[in-house]
Amino acid sequence: MIKAVMVMNTQGKPRLAKFYDFQPVEKQQELIRSVFSVLCSRPENVSNFLEADSFFGPESRLVYKHYATLYFVLVFDSSENELAMLDLIQVLVETLDKCFSNVCELDIVFNYSKMQTVLDEIVFGGQVLETSSSEVMKAVEDISKLDAASNSISLVPKSVSGWRGR
Amino acid sequence: MTGMRGLSVFISDIRNCQNKEQERLRVDKELGNIRTCFKNEKVLTPYKKKKYVWKMLYIHMLGYDVDFGHVEAVSLLSAPKYPEKQVGYIVTSCLLNENNDFLRLAINMVRNDIIGRNETFQCLALTLVGNIGGREFAESLTPDVQKLLISSSCRPLVRKKAALCLLRLFRKNPDVVSVDGWADRMEQLLDERDLGVLTSSMSLLVALVSNNHEAYWSCLPKCVKILERLARNQDVPQEYTYYGIPSPWLQVKTMRALQYFPTIEDPGTRRSLFEVLQRILMGTDVVKNVNKNNASHAVLFEALSLVMHLDAEKEMMSQCVALLGKFISVREPNIRYLGLENMTRMLMVTDVQDIIKKHQAQIITSLKDPDISIRRRALDLLYGMCDVSNAKDIVEELLLYLSTAEFAMREELSLKAAILAEKFAPDLSWYVDVILQLIDKAGDFVSDDIWFRVVQFVTNNEDLQPYAAAKAREYLDKPAIHETMVKVSAYILGEYGHLLARRPGCSPREMFSIIHEKLPTVSSSTIPILLSTYAKILMHTQPPDLELQNQIWTVFKKYESCIDVEIQQRAVEYFELSKKGAALVDILAEMPKFPERQSSLIKKAEDAEDTADQSAIKLRAQQQPSNALVLADPQPVNGTPPPVKVPSMSGSVDHESAAQPHSQPNGALSKVEPQTPSADLLNDLLGPLAIEAPPGAMPTEERASTGAGVPDAVDGAAIVPVGEQTHTVEPIGNIAERFHALCFKDSGVLYEDPYIQIGVKAEWRGHHGRLVLFLGNKNTSPLTSVQAQILPPIHLKMELSLVPVTIPPRAQVQCPLELMNIRPSRDVAVLDFSYKFGTNMVNVKLRLPAVLNKFLQPIQLTAEEFFPQWRSLSGPPLKLQEVIRGVRPLPLPEMVNLFNSFRVTICPGLDPNPNNLVASTTFYSESTRAMLCLVRIETDPADRTQLRMTVASGDPTLTFELKEYIKEQLIAIPTGSRAPAPGPGPVASETQPASPAVTANDPGALLAGLL
Repeated sequence: MIKAVMVMNTQGKPRLAKFYDFQPVEKQQELIRSVFSVLCSRPENVSNFLEADSFFGPESRLVYKHYATLYFVLVFDSSENELAMLDLIQVLVETLDKCFSNVCELDIVFNYSKMQTVLDEIVFGGQVLETSSSEVMKAVEDISKLDAASNSISLVPKSVSGWRGR
Repeated sequence: MTGMRGLSVFISDIRNCQNKEQERLRVDKELGNIRTCFKNEKVLTPYKKKKYVWKMLYIHMLGYDVDFGHVEAVSLLSAPKYPEKQVGYIVTSCLLNENNDFLRLAINMVRNDIIGRNETFQCLALTLVGNIGGREFAESLTPDVQKLLISSSCRPLVRKKAALCLLRLFRKNPDVVSVDGWADRMEQLLDERDLGVLTSSMSLLVALVSNNHEAYWSCLPKCVKILERLARNQDVPQEYTYYGIPSPWLQVKTMRALQYFPTIEDPGTRRSLFEVLQRILMGTDVVKNVNKNNASHAVLFEALSLVMHLDAEKEMMSQCVALLGKFISVREPNIRYLGLENMTRMLMVTDVQDIIKKHQAQIITSLKDPDISIRRRALDLLYGMCDVSNAKDIVEELLLYLSTAEFAMREELSLKAAILAEKFAPDLSWYVDVILQLIDKAGDFVSDDIWFRVVQFVTNNEDLQPYAAAKAREYLDKPAIHETMVKVSAYILGEYGHLLARRPGCSPREMFSIIHEKLPTVSSSTIPILLSTYAKILMHTQPPDLELQNQIWTVFKKYESCIDVEIQQRAVEYFELSKKGAALVDILAEMPKFPERQSSLIKKAEDAEDTADQSAIKLRAQQQPSNALVLADPQPVNGTPPPVKVPSMSGSVDHESAAQPHSQPNGALSKVEPQTPSADLLNDLLGPLAIEAPPGAMPTEERASTGAGVPDAVDGAAIVPVGEQTHTVEPIGNIAERFHALCFKDSGVLYEDPYIQIGVKAEWRGHHGRLVLFLGNKNTSPLTSVQAQILPPIHLKMELSLVPVTIPPRAQVQCPLELMNIRPSRDVAVLDFSYKFGTNMVNVKLRLPAVLNKFLQPIQLTAEEFFPQWRSLSGPPLKLQEVIRGVRPLPLPEMVNLFNSFRVTICPGLDPNPNNLVASTTFYSESTRAMLCLVRIETDPADRTQLRMTVASGDPTLTFELKEYIKEQLIAIPTGSRAPAPGPGPVASETQPASPAVTANDPGALLAGLL
């Protein structure tokens, strides 16, 4: 089972954090910090694996991938295959890349909600839901369409007050 | 989702914050704003709601508590329109957890969406349940989710979510997926063509078979079919081909599912599977593209696991090891890492260790890899593959690496080196070398256990003593040495330094001055050891050297007023003792040998391995008998030769054993030494108990209670009046209490009276036990006619070694008692003990603490482990239930402690009712072997004096006995109030005329008398 998905930048700022075992907010932040403290000290060209027992309990494994200014991190237990998890990070990133064409950190920061939706279509309750990025895209686009439809309906009469609100 | 400008503005603001304080202010402002808007629902459009919710989630991710809006979120679940509903679902599943009460209220709303016709709503609802659904969700929603999964009219998008949702519900409550019926459905699901649905169904199958593979045998051939389909790339759509590989995730999951079946019996299926596996093993190469590499090797490593699991023919295994050997030297670090990890797992497979050993050099190279993750794996592998044949090479490599290793690894490294050195030492002098080097290089990481152990070895092996002393002397010449090195060398030189006397630089004077040089650098825990060393040096200096004596006396004088009591006492006592001249030799004689015992270090390592899920090392340790050095207890009464290897002595070491006073083994009668080097050492090394003060030194109250007739002079025998025979010797302390205390711990005093103290120290392993009785004569005249006889109940096999007839004055005798538990029983063994002091004949019958709970091993179970067992043991006689009244009222946490004290582990969180306790333990006996026992206690918060207890195990007698045992513990916890039980006191034999003949063969009757 996947225990957590985290995305953070190279300064340690979280960009996405999803825990599939419930963790209180403080604990979440502590975990993000401790993972970052180990990640930032690792050189390039080493393996993508880290010992995570001390943060996430025995038999926990952690894989990460470093893209430009972002770290993508997956934490899981011994029932998952390490390299398959690494591939899943790649699927997530490739999907985001399709969403934003050449994804960069800013895309993710300002489209936080979209990244959540993408992740929810890939990992479901700690299990791998979909591994084909084109299937994920299809699902995400369906949701976007529904969203856009509802926005346009509800926005028209309220546009004035909404505008003032900004 | 795009175009939420308010959200973007907020995120920009946060990004522009200069510091954390500004950020917090901005967040607080926003939260205040949202809160106000939520209160005033009229202005809240769906768009705004959504915007606020995303802001709340963003704030939550930044690490701020969002503790409001939960009710609003839940209420939105029933909204009729998509935007509001979506908002509700998203925020609910992010901010709430399964134990939230609001969430329980939502079950019906969620159910409506699941059974409704709107697929978008179904997806939302399934996602929520799949992420945070709890037990209640499982109970109410399972049939609906199952229906969605097998429905032919649903889109794959919904069905794959339903599969994983069902998995979550099954985990929360395994009962909800009924085994019969569902297995057939599962089998049908595996015929699915859509790979998305198939992947999710495979995850579901993994969860189901890991719980109960028996029910899903029919799925096994289907799994093999799926693998064949993927391996041959038949009917795999483009979108599921990842870097040219047909869905690597599905391949991996399928092979994972197959690993939960113990074996594959059908030869056809087995053959097909091996063909696929062979194809994967042979057809995977390291290529340039990293992603393709990762994917293909994910499949390959899973195939390797499956081959290991299936215990394939040796040929295929060797092929795997060869592959792994290739992997550990490739450039790609991930593959090196996994290569080492899998090679460690491979150690479990028989017959391949020798092939693995061929790669030793390469593995040692990995110990210098730039990646700490890889270095750790290499260390694990070296540790696992170490045996007698390669221990020297491996341990020396580890020592070499220790000097350059970073701090993060040193502790683990030194511990592993110490364990290997002890387990596989080809000779003891090498072992001493290794440990001293370890202390020298990484003293901070060498625990006390490690240096205590080396002292034990040296003490118990005369041939080793001159060598160890010479080594210790060498290290003292180094300019800066670790404090632990000061401790161990001072101790060894104090005991055995005189063996080196004829060597240059080893005269008592030189020895003293080099040790004394270190004194200013050490802490107060080391000074006592140094003082003892000085006293021993002084004692060994024959003829006396007045100048040295003055130097040492000056030191003793200096510490006479030390604030540290231990140091002060030693200084004062050594000073006084050293004035006694020749008598000093007796008083400060060499330390006796240590009793045989398991290395605490190895025990610690084994315990750690017990908790690890798959431990190659442990498994292998079971296959090949450990070479661990066992401390000898060369006890003449036992007649067993010491199993310790004799060290090969280098020629340079002088054999001066002739000059060495012969030490007396512990088992024989040895003088009890009033002065031992360190209080810690005494406790940790000698273990049992020191003889307590002689009667003359007893506190006055106690003396008064023993009655006027008790001899209180030191030479008791001489003044005992002739008519004293009828006198009853009163025990010191309460015997029943002492027995009860010993039931919960493994060492302590079993019995004491003015003449003798009987201590017990026990070790338990599985259904075997070893109990050592320490018989200590407290007086200055001997105890005679000592007799000890064990009256074992029928369920225990016990063997007591010979007990000497006489215990000399102030001496302590050890009598080991081996015992084996045949079957569960609450009967208690009795020691019939008698001795004569002067004309006083004393006979006592003592219950021995070899009770039921000693054969229990605590075990903590998870819900997944507990419930299937619990259910499979249905009803009497395996599962017994009883309502117990008259329970001593205890708050729940104390009851938890009580259970833990008799080694029945409470498994927290398994029972949803906080008033109930669920516990488990393993019982060991010859007839039952290791058997799991499960206990459930349901307490009544309104009436703490009653509770309902259910006990289950695979053996009816065990269930009954354990139930009765726990009942006894719950009803009457031994307390001081039970003290004045007159029965078990030792009585002069004259007052108990009829007992011996009847009771000797009938422990039951005897027990009845005792209780």
